[in-house]
Amino acid sequence: MNTLTDRYLAATLRSVPAPRREEIATELRASIEDMIEGRAAGGQDTTTAEREVLTELGNPEQLAARYADRRLQLIGPTYYLVWQRLLKLLLSFVPATVGVVVGLVEATAGDNAGGAIGAGIVAALQVAVQIAFWVTLVFAVLERTNPSLRLPEWSVDQLPEAPVERQICLPDTAAAIVFLVLFAGYLPWQHFHSWVSDDQGGNLPILDPALWSSWLPVLLAVLVASVALEVAKYRAGRWTWPLVAVNTLLDLAFAVPVAWLLLTDRLLNPDLVERFEWLRQGDNLDTVATVTVVGATLVVLWDIADSAIKAYRNRA
Amino acid sequence: MVSDEILRTHLQELRRGTVVVASLVALRRPDYGYALLQRLSDHGFPVDANTLYPLLRRLEDQGLLTSEWNTEESRPRKFYRVSDSGESVLRRLLADLAAVHTSMTALIEGADR
Repeated sequence: MNTLTDRYLAATLRSVPAPRREEIATELRASIEDMIEGRAAGGQDTTTAEREVLTELGNPEQLAARYADRRLQLIGPTYYLVWQRLLKLLLSFVPATVGVVVGLVEATAGDNAGGAIGAGIVAALQVAVQIAFWVTLVFAVLERTNPSLRLPEWSVDQLPEAPVERQICLPDTAAAIVFLVLFAGYLPWQHFHSWVSDDQGGNLPILDPALWSSWLPVLLAVLVASVALEVAKYRAGRWTWPLVAVNTLLDLAFAVPVAWLLLTDRLLNPDLVERFEWLRQGDNLDTVATVTVVGATLVVLWDIADSAIKAYRNRA
Repeated sequence: MVSDEILRTHLQELRRGTVVVASLVALRRPDYGYALLQRLSDHGFPVDANTLYPLLRRLEDQGLLTSEWNTEESRPRKFYRVSDSGESVLRRLLADLAAVHTSMTALIEGADR
């Protein structure tokens, strides 16, 4: 005999602590039979009554949890905020640090620069998953074992400073610095690893190598100064007129030499121009130079105008 | 106009604590699970079976109820009744319930003025 009630009891008792299982079984069976009888007395047939009673009692696992006073949550309100804070703290720097270290090791020891970035990202992701899993596991165990942890009480002294309204926020600054560093790194990089090769399969720099003894160091210095400007901008939190002036100066210090070199055909490596027939034909090279200069001029003008407008808005 | 959902949650919150008080009062006279369920709902305290049965066991674990098996009837039944400590807890709870009622009445009258 294996009635629905038997099955329901078995399902419920499976997750009830063993010492009380038998007693609960007897009592619950009697209660269920009482309930069925009560419905049958109202004129229902017993099969329907049984179904309805068991449906009313609901999911057996939930009932068992109520009997065992067990929590139906992974991490409850006691630990949730601590869990969240710890997780945020760890995830904010550990995966990135590990990723960078692994990437650097791969790049130096493995002699595989392209693979290094991938290896770094994979390592960072793995570390992030591991951190999330283990921290959550520890708190889930705490939630269930319920030790009397003396977690520090919250006090008003922990209140953070109210955020100042910033024009320049951290992600923008970080993005700008990363871009500047990558760009500055690309200048020497292209000398050794450009995407073009010469007739013998050797590397063909994109920029004229002669510039290394003249303008390229200046451009690199301007890029480094731009990084410093980004930092200063972030510390100020907003555009000020001195920042606008320095920004304008640095923009021009970069754009004017580049435009002038481009227009006088001294920026690109002559061997590179030689290699691409299309560049040599007619006015093609001049057209490329003109379009680039016009585009750069617009970008610079926009940047200067944008900074000036923001500084103007900040006037007291 | 608030939704039925919101109203139902608030009613549930309001009723939650009264189930324990009502059960303790009812069990001044010994009774078993299903009969108690019936009595409570007859007196306007509709309780879900899956809430009441585990609750009785919890109150027993806390020492507020004592129990005794009755095997004379057609099926064995566990009869619960209020213990001495359960009775003193119940008195405190009833006093508090009365205090809540008094305060609420005073508040309502005060608001009318």
